[in-house]
Amino acid sequence: MPEKGERMSQLTRRDLLKSAATVGAAAALSPALGGPAAAQTTQKRELVTAQGGDISKLDPHFSTSSNDIRISFNIYDNLTSRHADGKLYPGLATEWKLTAPTTWTFKLRSGVKFHNGDPFSSADAKFSIERTYDPNQKTMVATALSTIDHIDTPDPGTLVVHTKKPDPLLPARVAFYGGQIVPKKYLEAAGNDGFNAKPVGTGPVKFVSWTKDDKLVLDANDAYWGGKPDFDRMTMRPIPETAPRVAALLKGEVDIIVQLPADQDERVAGNPTTRVAGALYAGLYVLAVNSKRPPLDNPLVKQALSLAIDRESIVKELWRGRGIVPSGMIAKGDNHFDPKLPPLAYNPGAARDLLKKAGYKNEEITIETTVAYVSNDKQMSEAIQGMWRDVGVNVKVEVIEYSVRAQKNREKSFKGVWWGDPTSTLGDPDGMMWRLLGPGGINDYWRHPRFDELGNAARFSVDEKFRGEAYREMTKIFLENFPWLPVIQPYEDYGLQKYVEFTPNPNQQFEIRKFNFKFKRA
Amino acid sequence: MRGVLGFLAPKLLRALIAVWLVTTVVFVVMRLSGDPVPLLLPPDAPISEIERVRRDLGLDRPLPVQYATFLGNALRGDFGRSIHFRVPAWQVVIDYLPATLELGLTAFGLALVVAVPIGILSAVKRNSALDHAAMGVALVGQSAPTFFLGILFILTLSLKVGWFPTSGRGDWTNLVLPALTLGAFSMASITRLTRSAVLDVLRQDFVRTARAKGLPEPGVVMKHALKNAALPVVTITGLQFGTLLGGAVVTETVFAWPGIGRLAIQSIYNRDYPIVQCTVFLSAILFIVLNFAIDILYGVLDPRVRPR
Repeated sequence: MPEKGERMSQLTRRDLLKSAATVGAAAALSPALGGPAAAQTTQKRELVTAQGGDISKLDPHFSTSSNDIRISFNIYDNLTSRHADGKLYPGLATEWKLTAPTTWTFKLRSGVKFHNGDPFSSADAKFSIERTYDPNQKTMVATALSTIDHIDTPDPGTLVVHTKKPDPLLPARVAFYGGQIVPKKYLEAAGNDGFNAKPVGTGPVKFVSWTKDDKLVLDANDAYWGGKPDFDRMTMRPIPETAPRVAALLKGEVDIIVQLPADQDERVAGNPTTRVAGALYAGLYVLAVNSKRPPLDNPLVKQALSLAIDRESIVKELWRGRGIVPSGMIAKGDNHFDPKLPPLAYNPGAARDLLKKAGYKNEEITIETTVAYVSNDKQMSEAIQGMWRDVGVNVKVEVIEYSVRAQKNREKSFKGVWWGDPTSTLGDPDGMMWRLLGPGGINDYWRHPRFDELGNAARFSVDEKFRGEAYREMTKIFLENFPWLPVIQPYEDYGLQKYVEFTPNPNQQFEIRKFNFKFKRA
Repeated sequence: MRGVLGFLAPKLLRALIAVWLVTTVVFVVMRLSGDPVPLLLPPDAPISEIERVRRDLGLDRPLPVQYATFLGNALRGDFGRSIHFRVPAWQVVIDYLPATLELGLTAFGLALVVAVPIGILSAVKRNSALDHAAMGVALVGQSAPTFFLGILFILTLSLKVGWFPTSGRGDWTNLVLPALTLGAFSMASITRLTRSAVLDVLRQDFVRTARAKGLPEPGVVMKHALKNAALPVVTITGLQFGTLLGGAVVTETVFAWPGIGRLAIQSIYNRDYPIVQCTVFLSAILFIVLNFAIDILYGVLDPRVRPR
């Protein structure tokens, strides 16, 4: 997810020289940016946002890239909605409960209309969800809701979802990608291409026009069930380079920019008319490990590698303090995160001893890094290379391109360790750690019978107490085996005009609603 | 008429071979260097899902089969559907073309209008303060990397002084900074070349003769020197226009300008084969048309290369 959004800004950081020049020029000029009396209020009726890349499609079921979902979560609604506090709130469903071990019943909001005036009913919800995994539709979210067996619609206001096995996370699943609700009647008449060209949803904004790589124009939905948002029009401008994107904010041409790199925080915060708002990323940045290749098949070596990473320094130096040191495999803010667990330790002496004990024979360990696939990936790789060398590890950094990384993911052909940013799509370890590390997941390079048993049991249990215990025991196994080397849980920062009140969502959904967004009026 | 054909036909044949070679190389390199499918799907998509989408897109077929299909369709002007946008590639590229032409032509015009007069003046007033200043600026313009110049312009002329918008496409104020950035290199090299070409000609015997005849100096320069100095200038100018298309990649990215340069680079990252092939094809055609135009201009300017 953030995965894909970042890639658009590759060009920036692809070239070290280039960013060095940018930062230099920026530093030279920033003191001169005083400007007139700071505009702390506004009478604007248009919200202008900027992000690192343009959208690719308007049909929500054909993309999961973060650039696309920032828009689709505003044109469309989901049945449930995850707010900035990490909890699920009513969306197009007003309430939901488990009515049998494999049955979730959703009560739907009445009186909701699509942008074209058609009423929303359970038929649309059923159609939307079934469309995601219908093989004839060929969507890109076919696995998002695949725990569902079939769906009943006893009346227009009720949706009964039967899952194949007990699914504790179904309400969370429908809050994320794949769960956007599309209009059955309109879509069937327009066809997939027609719908993608002229989309219709129930969300707070309606589609007006899209000029690729220039701007996307959306109008406020006056009849929105959650209240009309505090603007008449919303425009999204894709600005690929970081420096011009920040400049557009500082000059007041845009109101909100997303994906603000930590090294630009000071400029935005130091400017009298702008500020930084952040949310702790719902996920972790990790070095995934190919635990099948020696010497990484030896748990002691991986323990040593973890102990040799000075995460505090990485947070402080490379992230300007905009992150926290993880304690294990569960992101802070997620279900079953254990606040008592200490942050992962740094102890180079112990690392050296462990390497000796493991019988490490100077085998080469490769860090395959992308550039700006996740923020600071190359810089962190180089820092970690130094730290590992300090304890006597023979380590090499190899730079690979984004699509090559994607291909290696598919072929499972990574040599040593590589960057991943497992997103916690469901606010739960199952939707993050188990989704990727479980059997068949893209990071499935290590198996452990007890770990697997617990992971599977927790996936299909609707008993949260049992699940909590399972994840605690799994964390213990994880910390002995390190199928991932968690490095940082960063903040996702946004640059805002001071007259914008907005609380970002840790999941990068960028939902703009009446409850979380307001212009400060004089 | 037969003469013109004899002059053009071999060139046309070579041009066709060049287009074919370029598209083939791009076809192979793009396919060997990465797979678009994992980029389309959620990061945790299972292998079976990836294979399913590859089948849907026809990427599971052997390369020669894909290539034959591609060539066959391309000959009919069909470059396939964009993998990223899910609409015909040709339609996407055509949408992006006006922005690039607007930017490229403005930058080119700006470069010519500034560079040629200054180049001439520098040559005529050799070693004057003007000459030194112009050559100094030209040196900077030619050596400053495009991205650096672009960001410098944004930070100074837009953010600090507030004259122009930082980025994006809109009215003429949006066009100034990207056109300056894109045109800077060409402006500099055309200035320098014009200067040396004019200097060269001014040293020739026929100029001395003209002066000896007592013709006034402006007449000597305008009538006799310029026409002869134009030949190398036309060559380099034509080539510069090609450079402009290449430079558009960086300029368009820095200024968030919705042109084909930016489209091309993003499509390469996305491994959006149909779009990349279509833009490369279009650029190749543009280059060839340009070369033709230069060849013909040559004939007009220099009777010696005209076919007999």
